[in-house]
Amino acid sequence: MADLVKDKPQKHEKKVEKLPTDGTRSKEKAGRAKDPAITAPGVDEQGDDQGTAGMMENTYQLGPSGQFPVSAVSNILKEEITNTLQEEKYEAQRCQDLTLTLCEGIRNRVKELLIPRYKTVVLVHIGQLNGQGMQISSRCLWDPSCDTFTSYSFKNTSVFCSGTVYGVYFE
Amino acid sequence: MEDYLLEEKTAFVVEEVSKIIKDSVETVIGEVSYKHGRVNQWTTSVVEQCLIQLSKQGKPFKYIVNCIIMQKNGAGLQTASTCFWDNATDGSCTVRWENESMYVIVSVFGLAI
Repeated sequence: MADLVKDKPQKHEKKVEKLPTDGTRSKEKAGRAKDPAITAPGVDEQGDDQGTAGMMENTYQLGPSGQFPVSAVSNILKEEITNTLQEEKYEAQRCQDLTLTLCEGIRNRVKELLIPRYKTVVLVHIGQLNGQGMQISSRCLWDPSCDTFTSYSFKNTSVFCSGTVYGVYFE
Repeated sequence: MEDYLLEEKTAFVVEEVSKIIKDSVETVIGEVSYKHGRVNQWTTSVVEQCLIQLSKQGKPFKYIVNCIIMQKNGAGLQTASTCFWDNATDGSCTVRWENESMYVIVSVFGLAI
């Protein structure tokens, strides 16, 4: 637990802030360098560790084999949200359904990227624009060198939407 | 054998987490009415309080804490989340709290290491 560092607080009120990614590059290189020799092929694939987990050899892998593809994920997030909400008017029941479909859509597309050993959490808020004040803030207790997030905010005349995807490395 | 015993202590217990969240929100906000200038400070302290309490439990989890404060004026808000994780070890907890002038929604996700 000692090496887990509290991440910098992230605030977004209808705007996106980038997380500093210093230090991640060197880690990535180190991870890659020792990989080919010791990692059995396919061991890292998500689908493989169900059921057969007991039969797998140890991978002795200490870090992620590749970084979480932040830009790909943020493109997915942006696409899904803009396509779904472009022409939407706020309506409680409809938006409730939309949050769920958006969440599932985004999660499934992120899953298709087949990012080894990363767990993902997708959080979507849709709200009515009614002149109210509001703030969304989020903070994490994790390892900033391999865990990351991306977030996107969208607004049209009637609704706003904020979507966040967290990628957390599973050791 | 020890691993099995440990598992109970290291599980994500929703009741404990929800109590932590409620306590944090109540100590930070209480019955104060909505003030735009203080919201930033409130969200920060709620999230921070939750994280401090969660880390005191000393469980092998990585935590994600998200806090929304919204002024009450009739506007609607929907939130949803989906996760891709190990259902057996990981868990989430969301608490909705309100007073006369604002809604507070806090979500905590615990991902086992």
